[in-house]
Amino acid sequence: MKKIGWFCTYTPVEILHAAGALPVGLKSDSGAEHEDVVLGDSMCSYVRSCMGGALTGSYDALSGVVIAHSCECMRRLADGWLYRQDEIKPKMLHLLDVPKIVTQSSIAFFAGGLRRMKEDIEAHVGPISEEALRASMATCNKTRALCRAIDALRKKEAPAVTGREVEKLIAASWEMPRETFNARLETFIADKEGQTGDKNAPRIMIIGGPGNGSLIKTIEAAGALSVVEHMCTGLRAYTGEAAFNEDPFLELADLYLTQTPCPRMLGKAAQDAISEIESLIKEYRVDGVLYYSMQFCSNMQMQWARLKNDSPIDVPMKVLDGDISTEINECEIQSFIKRLKKRRKRNR
Amino acid sequence: MNRADMIKENTEQRKVQVKNLLRVNGLEGIEPGDAVKMAFPKAFDTLSPSAKRGYLNTEQFFNAYNLDTNGEFVYQPMAWRSLFVPTEIMYAMGLLPFTSEMVASQLAMTGAARGRIETAEANDFSIDLCSFMKTVAGGVIEDILPTPDVLITSTHLCDPSAKYAELASHTYKRPEFVLDIPYGLYDLASSRDEKDIKRVEEGVAYVHEQLLEMIAFITEHTGLTLEEETLRQVIRWTNEARTWLNEGNDVILQQFASAKKGVRELDYAANLMQTWGTERIVDVYKSRCKAYKANPAPDESETRPRIAWFHLRPYFKSPLMPYLDERIDISASQVNFAFWEPLDPSDPIRSIARRTVLHPAFSSVTARTEIAIKELPDDTEGIIAYYPKSCRHFHGGSIMENEMFKKAGIPILTIDGDCIDDRGDDFPIVKTRVDRFLKSIKKHPRSKKK
Repeated sequence: MKKIGWFCTYTPVEILHAAGALPVGLKSDSGAEHEDVVLGDSMCSYVRSCMGGALTGSYDALSGVVIAHSCECMRRLADGWLYRQDEIKPKMLHLLDVPKIVTQSSIAFFAGGLRRMKEDIEAHVGPISEEALRASMATCNKTRALCRAIDALRKKEAPAVTGREVEKLIAASWEMPRETFNARLETFIADKEGQTGDKNAPRIMIIGGPGNGSLIKTIEAAGALSVVEHMCTGLRAYTGEAAFNEDPFLELADLYLTQTPCPRMLGKAAQDAISEIESLIKEYRVDGVLYYSMQFCSNMQMQWARLKNDSPIDVPMKVLDGDISTEINECEIQSFIKRLKKRRKRNR
Repeated sequence: MNRADMIKENTEQRKVQVKNLLRVNGLEGIEPGDAVKMAFPKAFDTLSPSAKRGYLNTEQFFNAYNLDTNGEFVYQPMAWRSLFVPTEIMYAMGLLPFTSEMVASQLAMTGAARGRIETAEANDFSIDLCSFMKTVAGGVIEDILPTPDVLITSTHLCDPSAKYAELASHTYKRPEFVLDIPYGLYDLASSRDEKDIKRVEEGVAYVHEQLLEMIAFITEHTGLTLEEETLRQVIRWTNEARTWLNEGNDVILQQFASAKKGVRELDYAANLMQTWGTERIVDVYKSRCKAYKANPAPDESETRPRIAWFHLRPYFKSPLMPYLDERIDISASQVNFAFWEPLDPSDPIRSIARRTVLHPAFSSVTARTEIAIKELPDDTEGIIAYYPKSCRHFHGGSIMENEMFKKAGIPILTIDGDCIDDRGDDFPIVKTRVDRFLKSIKKHPRSKKK
């Protein structure tokens, strides 16, 4: 089975799946940041890591990659990849342009881009019939439904599901056949039904990008519970509800553009992103927000400034500037959680 | 809010904001009307081309605060704009563009940017964000910038610019319109492959549709309407200005020695990006071209190395520019070219859409570097690229670009600098690098190899 890599949650993996390929999400620890000799210092660490990984063989098992043009750093990753294509084993590179606004015309335009992506994947992997695409869409929609069931468990007063568990599930899903992942989710949900967890732990919402391998571990080791991750490796990977359209590409375009928005989105979608954060805080009864702002990601940095300066969020928020490495300032997180514990006690 | 209430609110706010602006520029206590009169001591027609350019920018800047060049009150419908949003439709509708990036450069020129950057950083704007946007963010926090009627941004090139407009829209409680521009179509522009042609045309159609939505948005929120004949006139001015700009560029490019010596030619057009579609821009470029033609080329013995300049320059007071002014001549400035075909007055909006999607800077590093390699004049000894460290788009491609130019035998010096933030400016280090570069190109002149 051919493996096709993807980087950003705005990549409709259904198209890869329908071609009979295994979509492989390129995790933040899959590359080699310090091996990037192409992109320079003003790029985010995830992109530099992926570039370094490509140059040093980390992705040699892949037949190709789809790079979503989701932000200025991803744009440069595509540039670097093309520039050094002779030294990089995966031969296919498809650059998928992703609109930053949600309108009828942007959805139609994105659908056109997805049709081109299908043609490119067909040329490199194999034919994609409409039936196969519909079947893949159904399989991926089932994942979304199962993830919603897990989210429902996490909204409970004493959730039995920890952030660490969800983090591990999603990390595993990045390189697992979707059918196997769905089965694993079903087992996980069945195991958790009826269980309860710690109802006194402060409930944390994390907002971020690819995140940091130590973040959730540190939060939960300090006695808090990560109940919702508004991240590429969290909600953004598996949310959205498909609205049937006779044209599968329009359906996919609509689904992906209207999913839980990344800070890259603009206009009304950006305003909706802020409203959604406010709603999630209420739905998950969040005690505090940790914003893991990726260095050199101007979209996240701007969204943080917006949240901090101009939003009615009434729970404590803290920004952590960082990168994809596992290094983290534990003391900062511990003191934030200590503050939340005191606040929780006071409000009880 | 109805239109009359919004005008009333904008008027009151802009009165306060212009006073705040004067205060941060050290002009506290001076009446805004008097400050404006001081800024325009001479009539436009009597000025040199370069001074006309300054006049035009300053005039528009004060207009945005409802002040004409006599310091009198005139309400000006105004849109905050990011740098690559086309201006012709706005002018044709009577809407003044107020470009956030240009505001930052103007504040840097008056020495007022650093304080705004520090304000932004003290208010949770990250230190590694683009300094243009931090300056604007600080300006909004300190309420020195005029409240817009609407905001119009595009997704061209930089993420922070459009993203910041989202904040400004919320702060000022004014509606925002975003033009979503497809990426990389310039890479396909010369392809004859049917698929590529179709893709470009889809992109043009997508932006064309958005421009129509933009017109409806402006009308809805300002009451301004678009008259076809006015748009045609604006397009004629743009085309005329384009002709004069390119003719002036040709004078510089084609003469062995520069018609205009030194670095004053730098970013001439970038500074005027907001003025495409005005009658005065025609005058500025026409005067510039005529002045170049009238300026005899110096003797070969007097010539200094001809250098192509990439991207922008420091807008704050820096010893770098006077230093270079004495040592190099600019043969071409990357941001000075009207890269597009003349706009079609019979199909103006579609031709604006085409120009917008086919912007060469919104293409891959490889494509834009290959063009530069092809177009660089033989008598140009090398390139100096001045890239702000916080610019993911240009700085992020500089390693690849450097390698490509070097392979093509074109010397290049990349200066990792900043256009707005002077806090990290380290002239002695930059000077050393410039000296070494100039010495190297003198020793191995590219022009003699050809």
